[in-house]
Amino acid sequence: MSGVGPVEPGEGTRAWDTPEASAPEASSVPPPPPGPLAGLYARHRRTVLASTAAVVVLAGGGYLYATRPEPPTPPAQPYPSQVVEVVYLGPGSLSAGAPSGSFGFEMELVVESGPPVTVERMTQPYAGLALTSDPRPPFRTESGHPRKIVITMSVTECGKVPENAGLPFLDVTLRNVRAIQVHSFILGERYARDLSDALQVACSNDSASSPKT
Amino acid sequence: MNELPQQLVNGLLLGSMYGLVAIGYTMVYGIVQLINFAHGEIFMLGGFGAITVYLYVLPDGTSLWMALPLMLVGGIIVAVLAAVGAERLAYRPLRTAPRLAPLITAIGLSLALQQAVWAWYPDAKESINFPQIDGGPFEIGNVTIQTGDIFLLIAAPISMAILAYFVMKTRTGRGMQATAQDPDTAKLMGINTDRIIVIAFALGAAFAAVGAVAYGLKYGQVQFRMGFILGLKAFTAAVLGGIGNIYGAMLGGVALGLAEALSTAYIADIPGMDQFGSQSWANVWAFVLLILVLLVRPQGLLGERVADRA
Amino acid sequence: MRQRSLIAITAALAAGALTLTACGSRDEGNGSSDAGSGTTVVIGVDAPLTGDLSAMGLGIKNSADLAAKTANKEKYVDGITFKIEALDDQAQPSSGQQNAVTFVANKDVLGAVGPLNSSVAESMQKVFDDAKLVQVSPANTGPTLTQGAKWETEKVRPYKSYFRTATTDAIQGPFAAQYLYNDAKKKKVFVIDDKKTYGAGLAGTFTKEFEKLGGEVVGTEHIDPETKDFSAVATKVKSSGADVVYYGGEYPQAGPLTKQIKAAGANIPVAGGDGINNPAYMDLGGSASTGDFSTSVGAPVEELPSAKDFVANYEAAGYKEPYAAYGGYSYDSTWAIIEAVKKVVEDNDGKLPDDARAQITAAMQNVSFDGVTGKVSFDEYGDTTNKQLTVYKVEGGEWKAVKSGTYTG
Repeated sequence: MSGVGPVEPGEGTRAWDTPEASAPEASSVPPPPPGPLAGLYARHRRTVLASTAAVVVLAGGGYLYATRPEPPTPPAQPYPSQVVEVVYLGPGSLSAGAPSGSFGFEMELVVESGPPVTVERMTQPYAGLALTSDPRPPFRTESGHPRKIVITMSVTECGKVPENAGLPFLDVTLRNVRAIQVHSFILGERYARDLSDALQVACSNDSASSPKT
Repeated sequence: MNELPQQLVNGLLLGSMYGLVAIGYTMVYGIVQLINFAHGEIFMLGGFGAITVYLYVLPDGTSLWMALPLMLVGGIIVAVLAAVGAERLAYRPLRTAPRLAPLITAIGLSLALQQAVWAWYPDAKESINFPQIDGGPFEIGNVTIQTGDIFLLIAAPISMAILAYFVMKTRTGRGMQATAQDPDTAKLMGINTDRIIVIAFALGAAFAAVGAVAYGLKYGQVQFRMGFILGLKAFTAAVLGGIGNIYGAMLGGVALGLAEALSTAYIADIPGMDQFGSQSWANVWAFVLLILVLLVRPQGLLGERVADRA
Repeated sequence: MRQRSLIAITAALAAGALTLTACGSRDEGNGSSDAGSGTTVVIGVDAPLTGDLSAMGLGIKNSADLAAKTANKEKYVDGITFKIEALDDQAQPSSGQQNAVTFVANKDVLGAVGPLNSSVAESMQKVFDDAKLVQVSPANTGPTLTQGAKWETEKVRPYKSYFRTATTDAIQGPFAAQYLYNDAKKKKVFVIDDKKTYGAGLAGTFTKEFEKLGGEVVGTEHIDPETKDFSAVATKVKSSGADVVYYGGEYPQAGPLTKQIKAAGANIPVAGGDGINNPAYMDLGGSASTGDFSTSVGAPVEELPSAKDFVANYEAAGYKEPYAAYGGYSYDSTWAIIEAVKKVVEDNDGKLPDDARAQITAAMQNVSFDGVTGKVSFDEYGDTTNKQLTVYKVEGGEWKAVKSGTYTG
C-alpha cells in the first residue's frame, strides 16, 4: 500500500459541504431600476427578444448536450496484472525441433475479469537460459477462457543457471486497454523443484565445454 | 583496503562524544558523590534546546554557519537551566539523606524528563531532523571524515582545554578541587560549597549540550530517547576513566569508543569468534574491557583517592 | 569503601534499566463511534502508537478505525455497533502481551487487529489462542507465526486463532534476492540485520535465495537497534567491496544506516523489506537514500481501484497521520473481523451467541470478500491467499514502484 506520499488531513473540507456561494448572492441582487433601461428596452424590443431567444436556445441546447445520456464512462478498467493469474500445471512435452538440453513446462493463464489481456512477451530472468513459448507472443486471452501455454527452456550456459532457485518466476509483459506492464509470476515450490530437476539433468548431460559450477 | 585507520577515527569520534557527556557524570560525582542518572536527559535537553533555536527562534533559511553558534548557546542554556533546576529542587533537599535516596531521585528524574519531552515537545514522538552541514566528506589518505564530525573534532579538544584551564587556574576551579577533596574543610576555609556544586552541575550540563549538538550534526536527528543509552555509555566511560577525574572521563570515552569500533571490525575475523563479532556484540566487548580494567585498577584508568574517602 | 559498593549498585541498576526499556506508558484507545442501539462489539488494535515505529502504528490504528466507522455507517451488521480500542505496544513483546491480556479480559472484545512486529506477535499468539480470541495481523511477515518453527521443511500451524493479511518473508526475501540478482545485476551483497524476529528472518530468507542464484555474500553484520552509530559497520561495508547492502530491519535504523554507509564512501544501494518502506526512511536517510530498494507486500495502490476509495475515505475522515505502509491491510484485517462477526450473528438469529469468540474464530477461516488490497481470504495456515509483492526504489524522495509479482504456489 505504499509508494504513496503522506495524506494530508481533510480538515473537514468535504466538497459536498461547501455551500453554493453564488445562490444567495443572486437572490439578493436588487431588481434593475425602471427608467432609462425600460426606455432602452422599448426602443430595441425586437433585437432584445431575438437575442434572448437565441441565448435561451443556446443555453437549452448546451444543457441538453452537457447532460446527454453519456455512453457510460468505462468504469476504470483493472490493471492487467490484477486480473491475470498464471498457474503452473506441470512438466510438459517438448515441441518438435527443440534443441538438446531443453525442457518444457505447461502453464495455464487465466483472465479473471475485465477486458481481454494480451501477452506481449514472456521471459525468465536467468542468464544462461533461453525461453520460447507456444503460443508465441503476442497472444490474446479473454476472461473466462483459460489458455494453456507450453514454454520451452533451453540451457545456453550451464555456469550461469541457478540450479536450486527457491522461488523462480516468469516475467510476463501484459497489455490490456488500461495499461501495459511487466509482472512477475512466482510459480511456487513445485515449479521450483521441477525446474531445478530439469536443469540438473540438462547440465549433467552436458559436455565439459560448459562446466557446471 | 586497510580499514584500521578509518575504524580508529570512527572510534575516536564516538568516544569524544561519550567523553563530553562523561565529564558531567564525573564532575558531579567528584564533588557530591552523586551519580546523576538524569545527566543523559540533560544531554537530550541540550539537543532539543539547540533544535528549538533552529526551528522556532531563527528565521527560516538561516545559514547553518550563522545558526550553529546560536544553537549551541540555546542548547547550553536549556541544559544548564535543567541541570541547575534539578540540583536545586531534587538533589539539594536530599543532600543529607542516605546515598541511595538521591540516586533513586536521579533515575526518577531521568524518566520524568524523557516523558515530559515526549509528551509536550511538538512532534517529539518521532525523531526530529537536525540541520546538516553541507559539503562533501573530507578524504585524508584512506580516512573519510564527515562534515558533521568536524564540529565534534574541534569542539571536544577545545572543551577539554577550557575545562582544564578553569579547574586548574581560576579561583572557582580551585575551590572546586578543594570541595572535592574535603567539603567540610573547604567550607570552613570560606568556600561557598553550595555555589561550587551548582557550578559543577552547570558545567557538566554545558558540555553535555555541546555533545548533543555534535550528536545532532553527526546523526542528523534528535529524539527523546537519545540520552538514555548514551548516558549509560558515558557513565561507563566515566567509570572506566576513573570517576571523579575529568581527564579520565575523556580518556574513558575514547577508550570505550575505540573498543566498540574495533570489536565490531575485528572480533569476527578471529577464528571461531565469528558469532561474537557483530555490532550487536560491541556493547558486550566494551563492558568486558571495563571489567578487565576495573580488575587491574579498581579506581579506573586515571582514578585516584577512592580509598581515602571511604 | 562505600563509594565502591555504591558504584556496584549503580551498575546493577543500570543493567536493570537497560533490560527494562521495554515497559512504558499505554495510550488510551480513542472511542471510534457513537454508541448506537443494540450490542457494541469492540475490536482491539495493538500497534506501536509511540516511539520510532509510530508512523506505521498510527496508520494501522486509523485504518482500523475507518473500517469500524464504515461498518457502523452502513449498518453492515444489524444491531451491532463496532468500536475500536487501541493499545500501544511500543514495538515491545512484553507490552504486546500485556495488551493481549487486557483485550482478553474485556468481554466485549471479539477480535484484535495487529500487531506490527512479528516479535510482538509471538508474545501475543498464545494469550489470544487460549481465549479463542481471533487475531488478524495486517503487517507480520515472519513465516513461523503461521507455519511453525520448521516451516521450511514441515509446515504446522501453531495457533488456530492467528490470521494475517500480509505476505510472509518466505516469499518477500527471495523475491528481493531475485530482483537484486537478476534485474539490478547485483552479485556481491553485504547482509545486515537487527537480530529481531522480523529482521533476522527476512535477512535469512534473502541470503539463502541470493546464494542459490549464484550471488556472493561478502559480509554479514548484526546491528544494535538501540544505537545510532553505525560508522564501524559502514566502514566494514566499504572495505568488503559489496555492490549492494541488504538490511533486514526497520526504517528507524535503516535510514541512518544508509546515510552512514554512503557517507563512508560506499556508493551502493541499500535494499530492505516492508519494514523500511515508509516515507520516514527518506527523512532519516536524506539524499543518501536515493536509489535504495525495498520490497513491500501487495500491489501498488494506484493499480487497485478499491484502494483508491480507501485513500479518498481516509482523507475525508481527516486523520492526522498518514495511513502508511499497512493502512490497506489494516482496513482489510478489521473488515475480516467484521465479516466474521456478521456471519456468526446472522447464523444465530441476529444475536451474538454465548461463545461468540470461538465461533468468530471458526468463521474467520471461511471469510472471503473484496477488500482494499484485493481479494481477502485465508489458507489453511491462516495466511492470506492474495500474495502480491512489489519492489520499490527511492526516486526524487519517494518510493516508486518498479516491479510487481504474484505468488501462485
